[in-house]
This record gives sequence, C-alpha cells and structure tokens, in this order.
Amino acid sequence: MIAHVAEAGEGRGRVVLHLTQSAPNPVAVEAAVRVARAFQSEIESLFVEDSTLLDIAAFPFACEISLCGRHRRDLSPEIVARQMRAAAAALTRRLSALAQRAEIPLHVTVVRNEPVTALAEACAANGPWNVVALGEPISGLDAGRLAQVFAGVPGTTGLIVVGPRARRSEGRIVAVVEDIGEFDAVLRTARRLHDGDEDTQLTLLLVSDSEDEARLMDEQARLALGDDDSVEIVRARVETTEPGIAAEVIRKLSAGFIVGRFGGLLLPSGGNLRPLAAVLECPLFLMR
Amino acid sequence: MFFKRSQPDAAQPGAHKAAKSEVEVLATSDAPIMPLPIPDLRRTVDPAGLGFTTTTELEPISGLIGQDRALRAIEFGANMRSNDFNVFVLGPPASGKRTAVKQYLERKAHGEAPPADWVYVNNFDNPNRPKAIRLPSGRARPLAKAMIGAIDELRATIPATFEGEDYGARRRSIEEQFRSGQEGAFEELNKRAAEQNIAIVRTPTGFVMAPTHEGKIVKPEVFNTLPEAMRKEVETRIESLQKELEQILERVPKSDKLRRQHVSELNTEVATIVVRDALADVEAAFAGEAEVKSYIEAAGSDLVRNVGLFLVQSGEESEIVKQPADTARDPRFRRYLVNVMVGNGEAADEGAAIYEELNPTYGNVVGRVEHIAQMGALVTDFLLIKPGALHLANGGYLLVDARKLLLSPFAWEALKRALKAREIRIEQPSEMSGLVSTQSLDPEPIPLNVKVVLFGDRELYYLLSMNDPDFAGLFKVQADFDDSIDRSTDNDRAYARVIASIVRDHNLKPANASAVARLIEEGARLADDREKLSIQIGHLADIVREADYWASDAGSTEITREAVVRAVNEHTQRSDRMRDRAQETISREIVLVDIEGAKVGQINGLSVLQLGNFAFGRPSRITARVRMGSGRVTDIEREAKLGGPLHSKGVMILWGYLAGTFAHNVPLAMAATLVFEQSYGGVDGDSASSAELYALLSALSEVPIKQSFAVTGSVNQNGEVQAIGGVNEKIEGFFDVCRARGLTGEQGVLIPKSNVQHLMLREDVVEAVREGKFAVYSIGHISQGIEILTGVKAGDRGPDGEFPAGTINRLVEDKLRTFADRARAFGSRSSGTQSTAGDRTS
Repeated sequence: MIAHVAEAGEGRGRVVLHLTQSAPNPVAVEAAVRVARAFQSEIESLFVEDSTLLDIAAFPFACEISLCGRHRRDLSPEIVARQMRAAAAALTRRLSALAQRAEIPLHVTVVRNEPVTALAEACAANGPWNVVALGEPISGLDAGRLAQVFAGVPGTTGLIVVGPRARRSEGRIVAVVEDIGEFDAVLRTARRLHDGDEDTQLTLLLVSDSEDEARLMDEQARLALGDDDSVEIVRARVETTEPGIAAEVIRKLSAGFIVGRFGGLLLPSGGNLRPLAAVLECPLFLMR
Repeated sequence: MFFKRSQPDAAQPGAHKAAKSEVEVLATSDAPIMPLPIPDLRRTVDPAGLGFTTTTELEPISGLIGQDRALRAIEFGANMRSNDFNVFVLGPPASGKRTAVKQYLERKAHGEAPPADWVYVNNFDNPNRPKAIRLPSGRARPLAKAMIGAIDELRATIPATFEGEDYGARRRSIEEQFRSGQEGAFEELNKRAAEQNIAIVRTPTGFVMAPTHEGKIVKPEVFNTLPEAMRKEVETRIESLQKELEQILERVPKSDKLRRQHVSELNTEVATIVVRDALADVEAAFAGEAEVKSYIEAAGSDLVRNVGLFLVQSGEESEIVKQPADTARDPRFRRYLVNVMVGNGEAADEGAAIYEELNPTYGNVVGRVEHIAQMGALVTDFLLIKPGALHLANGGYLLVDARKLLLSPFAWEALKRALKAREIRIEQPSEMSGLVSTQSLDPEPIPLNVKVVLFGDRELYYLLSMNDPDFAGLFKVQADFDDSIDRSTDNDRAYARVIASIVRDHNLKPANASAVARLIEEGARLADDREKLSIQIGHLADIVREADYWASDAGSTEITREAVVRAVNEHTQRSDRMRDRAQETISREIVLVDIEGAKVGQINGLSVLQLGNFAFGRPSRITARVRMGSGRVTDIEREAKLGGPLHSKGVMILWGYLAGTFAHNVPLAMAATLVFEQSYGGVDGDSASSAELYALLSALSEVPIKQSFAVTGSVNQNGEVQAIGGVNEKIEGFFDVCRARGLTGEQGVLIPKSNVQHLMLREDVVEAVREGKFAVYSIGHISQGIEILTGVKAGDRGPDGEFPAGTINRLVEDKLRTFADRARAFGSRSSGTQSTAGDRTS
C-alpha cells in the first residue's frame, strides 16, 4: 500500500499499529511513527482483546503457567478481561504521548476478537491504504503468522515487523530488490523513508540466485538511477531458500530500516522465521 | 651648675660615696651646653672615598651582605637531612632574604638528585583508594601518554575484533546451540500437544492450554457438553503437558546462565588477546618498574572484564571529522588514565625541586580532591586529585610565607602533620573536622622528604615558639636576618655593590658615586641609625628605580645624587598629605603650639605618627598645673583612657624623680595635672616623660620655659634622660613647624644624649643648623635640660642640704614646703587627721 501511495504520489495513508495485551516492542512503535511521518499518514492503534484467551479462561481447568515455569494461577474470563482493559489503558496513554510529540494524528480502537480477524476488519473498514505494524516481535514460533496476516488481511499493502533483538530504527535504509520489476516501487518507498537525509545512507540490495541475474539487475538498476550516486548498490547471491543464508545477508547490512517484498528469496512466505528473528535488529517493512 | 644627687641619708655613708662619684662625672661638663656640631647631625659619605665612578665598575652582589649568621643557619638547615630540621627565616620584610635563600638553595639543589615522579592511578580493587606509584624522574608523563596510546589502540582494535567474522561466527554458534536446544524442546512439546488436540497459547504473562478440534480451540460451552469421561481425559492430558511445560520453562534460566557463561568465556578469550597486545608496549617501556607492572596487570584484567566499554558508542564522535573524541576526554576510559601528580622534565641535570607556594591554602599545600557536578551531584575520581606544594617540592625545598600559611584555615596543621608523619595524605578539610561524612577518595599517602623554609617576622617566630608546642620540634633551625648591618668602609662598598646589582637586575642607568653615597646615607636613615645600614633591599631598590626615572626625566645618562634626592623627596611628598595637614593646623593656630616666648608649666613635646611606611614628627603642647594636694599626679591622658601603659609608666617614674629629689624633709603635699593639649587620639610611649617633668618643674618653680624649644626623651627616677625612637622625624617635625612660621635662630630641640648616634637628619635641617637658624642639643640629665629651657640653673644641694637660692630646684622645694605648711595648717583647722604626705601617683 505504502508503495502504492508512494507510487501514486498520494500524500496520505494509514498505519495500523496492531497491539495485544503483550507490551509492544519500542522499536516497532518507533517504526510505525516513522512510517506515518514519512507518508504523512495517521496511526490507528488497534488494541485487540483476544477473544480466544477469554474463551480459554472460561474452561474450568484453565490455569496459566508463568514464563519462568515456577508459578501457576487459575484463570477466569473476568481476570483476563480486567488485565486486558488495564493493558489497553496503559498502552493508549503511552501512544497518545508519543503521537503528540511526533505531531501525528492518533486514533485508538479497542476491539474484542480473534487477532487476525480484528485486523482484517479494521483494515477493511478504513479503505485500502493500510500498513500494519505488529507491536509484538516475531519469533521462531511464528512461522506462518506473517503469511496468515497477508492472506487474512486483504486491506493491507505492507507489514512492519521487528524481531526480538530489535534495537534501532535509525541508520542505513536498505531497499531489497529481487526482481527488477519491483525496483521502482521498493526504491521509491525507501526514498520516502530516507527523506533526503544526507547523514543516512540509502542502499539498494540486489538479491538474485545467479550471477547472470545479478549482473542484469545491476545494469538495469544503474541505468534507472542514472547519475544519482547517492544510492549505494550492493549485490547478494542467495542460491538456496535456506533461511539462514538470507538472514546472514541481512545481518551484514547493519541496517536501520529494511524495505522489501514478502515472499521472495529474502523472506519466503512459508519459510522459517527463526534465523531472521535472531539477526533482525531493525524494522523490516514487507510490501505485499 | 649641675644637678647633684639629693643628700644621702647620714646613716648611709656608702651611698654618699657612690653619689659623689656621679656628681663628679656630671661636673666635668660645667661649661654651657652647646648645640650639637654639624657632623653629629648627619653622617655623610664621601663619594671620592668609595673608589669608583659609576656602578658599572662594580661587581654586583646577588646575595646578602653582613648576614653571615643567617646564611650559615640556612646552609646548616639545608644540609641537615632530617624531617625536623626545617628552617624558619626571620627578618624584616623587603630585606631580600627570600631572594637570597632561593639563590642559595638553587645553587645547592642543582647538584642534588632530581626528585622522583609520582602518579595516581585507579585502584581497580578499591576505586575509593587510588594507588600512588613512584617513578624515576621524568617517567610519569611518558606512562600517562603510553596508557592513552594503549586505550586509543583498543578503541580501534576491540570493536574491529568483536565485529569480525571470527568472533561473530563463534558467538552465533553458542547462541544457536542454546536457542535451538530450548526451542527444540518447546516445539517438541507443541507438536505432541497438537497431536493430542491440545493448543499451547501464549498470554502476556505466561502460557495456557486448551483443547482443540481440527486445529481450532474448542469453545467452553461445547467442551462442557462432552461426556464426563472425555472431559476428564482432556484435563489429565493438559495436566501432564503443563508439567512438561513447567519443566522446560524452568530449564530456561539455567540454560541462559550457561549460555551467558560460554559467551563470557569467549569474550574473555578474545579480549585478552587484544588487550595483551595493546599493553605490551607499555609493559616493555616500564619493565623495570614493579609497581607499574602490577598496575598494568590490574588494568589489563579490568579492560578484559569491561571490554563492553569499547563497544558502546559514546555519542561524542564528531559528526564532521568522523573521529572519536580524545580518549582523555572520554568519561568511559577515565579509569585507565594516569594522573601525573609530579612530572619532572626528562633532563637529568635539573636537580632537586625548589617550590615556592605563594598562596598556601590547605589545598595548595597538601593537595586536594576536586569534584565536578554531574546531574546535580558532586562526583570525583582519582583524576581529580590535584597536587599540592608538598608534592611539587618533595625531594627538595618548599618555601612558604609563614603569615599567609597561618592565616589559611587548616594549612598550618596540615603541614605539621605531613612533616611529622613524613607522608602527604590528602584529606578534605570537612573530613578532618568530622562535620561532613560523604564518600570521597582516600588516596594512598605519598612518602614525604622535604625541607620546609618558612619566612616570617620575629614577632611571628616568637609567638609560634611560645604557643605552638610542635613548632620548635619541627623548625629547629632559626635563620635570623638582621634589620641592618654595621656601617664600615667595607660594608659601604658592599652596599654599593648591592646597588649595582639592583641596577643590573632592573636594567637601570648606572649610578654614579655621588648617587651611591646618597643612597648609602639613605640606607642609614632607613636604619634610623647613623652607625647602621638598613638591609631593606626592596625599599632601596624602589628608591634606585625611582631615581632612574628622575634621571631620565632630567635627561641624564646616569643616576645622579640629584636624582636620588628627588626620588626621596618625591616619595615623601606623595605620602605626606597628613603631615602637611598637621602642620597647617599648627600654622593656622588651630592646634596651639608656641615657638616663641616663655610660659610657666608649658612645653613642646614631640611625637611620631606612623602612616603606612611613612613617619613624621609633630610637636604637641604639654601643660602641667600644680596645687596643694595629697601627693597625686593626675595623668589626664590616662584618666581619659587615651594614654597607653608606657605613657602611664613614664608619668609614675617622673613622680618618683620628684619624690626622690625633693621629698627628703618635706612631704609632697601637692597635686598636679599633666595633659597633652589637643590630643584626641591615643598617647603611648614614654618619650614625653622628660618634657612632662620639665613642665612640672616649671609649674612648681613658676619659672617659664622657652617655647622655642621642643623636647623629647624619657627619664628615669634618677633624672637621667634616656633614648627614644624616631628622633630624626621628631626633630624634623619641629623644624618644619618653625620654618613655616619663620626660623629665628633661637629654636631647637633637646634630645637624649644616647640618641646622637641615631641622627641622620634631613639635609635642609643640617643646613639650617649650619646657618645658625636651628639647633639640636643632646641632654644627659634633666638638670641640663631645665637650664637650657629656662635659662636658670637647676642647682645642687649644698653642704647644708639646701639648694642654692634662685635655682630651679630651690624654687621647687620652696613651693613644696609651702604646700606642706599650708596642708598642715589646713589639716589642723579641720579634723587634723588628713595625711598630706605620700608618694602615690595615678
């Protein structure tokens, strides 16, 4: 979507910040704000009270095992609902302050639903130009989650994710191009994020599975860039869909923001996220 | 006619004999008392006798002249290598003693071993107690520089190493090994749960489990419709899985700990190699220094332990030059820097240290721990330890002004403590007083081996000796510089060489012989003694420099006598506003002083006013009134609390003289009052006691005193006139008043005979005397003075025990008899019980 906004030269869009009762990753929130500011869009904070959790809490045997495994406590729908309300209120306060400082319009929505369904409904209700920013970091256990979001939420054109090791959203902006056809959209989006900042390097990462392909893409990219020498071109060969290889490429970039397509060599739609989550230190903007 | 002792008691023949011999001495000067001859008024120097034309022919003297005793004491103190043989240099200010001592010590120190360097470094075991390290002279700064170099190198090599592929691969291997272990177990559990139609769901604070059907969580209402047995079975399965989950989760911290341990071991291994390489050069450069070696080992261990410091951006990297900030300014690396407390030059021939502390505050003497404000709090570290004078003079000599030291709170005690303990221990004054107890630094003390030379005046020395029991024990060498030196041909020439050195040091015109002669005369005047020369070299240098100015003003190529005279006069003129004002009040008869005619019971006394470094004399009218009374002299100055104790003592003595001279056969049935007329400030000293006695004798005898004279001198009970101070200023003060009103040739001053040796009168006074317009008389006994003042003989007792008729003493005795008779008559008319005899004074 953002790419579409950028491509269409439109000035506005919407960033849907998807939040659950888990504390959101600060870099994910920063990334959402940064994208909203770059595209002069607003942020909709969508706090989803997971109905599944409420259902589970209604079981007579429902109990929660703590993260350290040493405590158990009985659950009830009332307890879970109270926790959710408290979490929603706290997050709303934090986000309001943040948005006010960044001078970005903020809408707060709290819904009780299954997370992906809630996200789909929110995006569908407010037009096509949505970027979803996931507040919760991705992890190795979320292998199919991203694909689910792209599949289940047709109203989104992009997804911003961070890993559990996220620690920066400033620094080099890397536009990952795997097909020369998507060159223009990806680069345009990256340029929008870059916003002409001379201190920030804009890098074009050309990923291909063969040398010929890489050379061809390089030539075409240089042709398209003309005499614009502000964009650094880096080539990477990923000859296999082994997720660790692509993750290593990303690690070496030490980027502050990565823009790319979902479902390519870099991030196959059905791939294992664990290697990526282990090295991803910056937000990853995945375009549909 | 000369004064004779009172008739001795007949029962004391021995006393008579003694008195008789004294009368004979007095009787040898039966001739009229003559004014002092010109040579007695001022001792001049013959330029031709000096043996040079200008000071360019003289070899300057840089040291002191005529101070052998003091210089021997300094030499002894400097050579005595003991902590308690420190030197106290006594002497007047501006005498050049400091320069002389410094010059001597510089010569001596030049041949001595250079002092050790000292540094403070961080104590990695106890940062509150920085370590002091001794280094050979000139090695401290190279160590500091080498440590900065090593840190600079590490700032480049550590990030490069830890960002390198080798480290990254090994690190990832460890991480992956542990992560896959945990996640594998968790995924395994997840898989088995799914096979049993159980879902493990993550909540914000943990995990819950729920039954599923075809991958979706079963609704509770549906679940409740299941048969009891099935529900129980589900619950059993969930319970079993929960236990397994708990076991997996409980293993996570232990696994994490083990992972961290492995990572830490890797970090240590990698960092050790890099750190060892960086410090190898420092270690090699200071291979012979055991303390440095130990420090480098500790610093190396700490660097390895805190390698993360080098992997964090300081935020101070210059955006323009893309270069990190100077290591010495980067707070992250402060702990590895070296604080040079004493860093000598690398030249080996510099000799021992000589350090003069001009502002000896506590911190400047023993050093201090400074603080810097950070986020509203005061913080400190070993780099903020600042050296004091003791550090800088350690192994050599410390020169301090004693008065300034004593006026600085805690400084004197701190110096004594350091000398006694033979170590420099830096403590905050607040800690010493125990008032504030904040965490600060407690640096290791540094051994002290210093010779302290204190400069002060005599009063201070004796006060310290008397009141500070530690003083005598620590400052055993007293170098006593005299205020003046004896006048002799040799010393006159030496004085000329001192003048030559002043000329050379200040790059002045050469002084010719006449100018030098005049300067020597001024030296005698400054000493207040014609037989001495002042060694206030600072003051002398001021006159020479000013004379150089006036010589230039006159277009002369050398300093001449005229230039010196002008310098002296101009200096006086700049300071004598008060003198002019005092003389004006006398000229305008606001202050009443007669310099003509004769009056009964009235005399001109002389006093000296000291204003800063300028003193001048001034006449004051003293009057005496007598009446019948009970033997009491009322000192009005004392009654009005304007008289000091010495003045009161003088008045009591003169009463003793009266009683001893006249009250042999008749009681002193008199009362007298004495006053300094128009005196509104305090009066002290006994130099007016002879004048007061003359006034009393005049009042009793009713013989008037010539007002053309002024008198100074103290008197004892035998009537001998004794020396006083400021004789030159007093004579000149009366001379100035007389000159202002017109010199008549009758005017003069009576001074004690013993003060003649002090006369160095102004040239204009001498000239007036030479022309017969003014006179100075030296008086040995009160009887001589009263004759000059009244023109009437004092009178000696004859064989009949009576004074000759018409003499002052006879008239006085007659008056006393009259008072006694009247008192007796008055007493018999009244109660008859009142005693009129007595010798009380008040």
